[in-house]
Amino acid sequence: MRDEHLPDELDEYLRGASPLSRQYQRESAPVPPHALERLVLNAARQQPVEPKPSLKSQSLAPLAFAASVLLSVALVLAIVVGPAVRRADDKPHVVQVRVYKAEPPRAAVASPRERNPAAWLADISALRRAGRNGEAELEMRRFRSAYPDYIIPVSE
Amino acid sequence: MLPKMDLMDDDAGLMLRYRDGDTAAFSALYAQYKGPLYRYLLRHVRNAGAAADLFQEVWSRLVAMRTRYEPRAKFATFLFHIAHNCAVDFFRRDLNLRGVVPHDLDSAFLEPEVPEYQRPDKVAEFLEQQSALLAAVAALPQEQREAFLLREETGLSVEEIARVTAVPVETAKSRLRYAIRKLKKSLSPMQEPEAPRLRTYA
Repeated sequence: MRDEHLPDELDEYLRGASPLSRQYQRESAPVPPHALERLVLNAARQQPVEPKPSLKSQSLAPLAFAASVLLSVALVLAIVVGPAVRRADDKPHVVQVRVYKAEPPRAAVASPRERNPAAWLADISALRRAGRNGEAELEMRRFRSAYPDYIIPVSE
Repeated sequence: MLPKMDLMDDDAGLMLRYRDGDTAAFSALYAQYKGPLYRYLLRHVRNAGAAADLFQEVWSRLVAMRTRYEPRAKFATFLFHIAHNCAVDFFRRDLNLRGVVPHDLDSAFLEPEVPEYQRPDKVAEFLEQQSALLAAVAALPQEQREAFLLREETGLSVEEIARVTAVPVETAKSRLRYAIRKLKKSLSPMQEPEAPRLRTYA
């Protein structure tokens, strides 16, 4: 909402020509205490470098997914369609399933980053409503480390 | 104030180097941003203890997510967006603490102690140590204070401030405009003590 009475006030300030800005820059400029600096820098240096996923494992991921789908379809078909009543002269059917040497499908419990942020926040709200504030805070910390740049609605 | 930077600035390059394991790049980033970040937090949350905690938390989050870092904006925008989120969390926690009303004496004893930095006397002590301008900044509404501090400490444009605080550009502009107006208004008697005042008397 622009105030028509002072059209140049913000422009003047943004140009850096404002006395207000000059006065602020003359203020003292505190810096973090040394002990705090050591904590931050040590933490940053101690973090091991995580190896990037190799090209081989990346390229195998679609194959692993395809293998999972194939197996699932085969299982569903086996349950829904068969086994029919077997006649005496029926020849045994051979079902061929290709098994790929690759990663198994994703585990049932999602890793923090894979967890849906909205659902996660809903869980945290539910904990707060239940009065379990300690757990809610803990979850919120986990959430923040998984999604540091996620915008949380004010109502959460 | 930080020097003006391009969209893909050198600092984003430093962050990429840190992502790939170069800790010296982190030190360079830290040296450049520690002052502006600390002052932004200190003057935004208005408490030295809380600011120190948040300062550490911001860097911890940056370290934790470094492997996922992809430069999509200026590094300052990225860093201060994390700081903004930390501050939002802080104010939310603070609100929750203040909102707790014990129903009986027993539960009052069971409630966790209010951290020292949130004690009213500590907050008052912080405010008393400020100059007139900083006291006026501290008295601004939270969103206006943040917009002003982001501008002064980082030199971010209005568009970038909007991005950091996740609001439309017009909202960021409006917050900054009101902040400037209030600060000017609260400081004007001190800035011009001998200025003649025209008054008319009936």
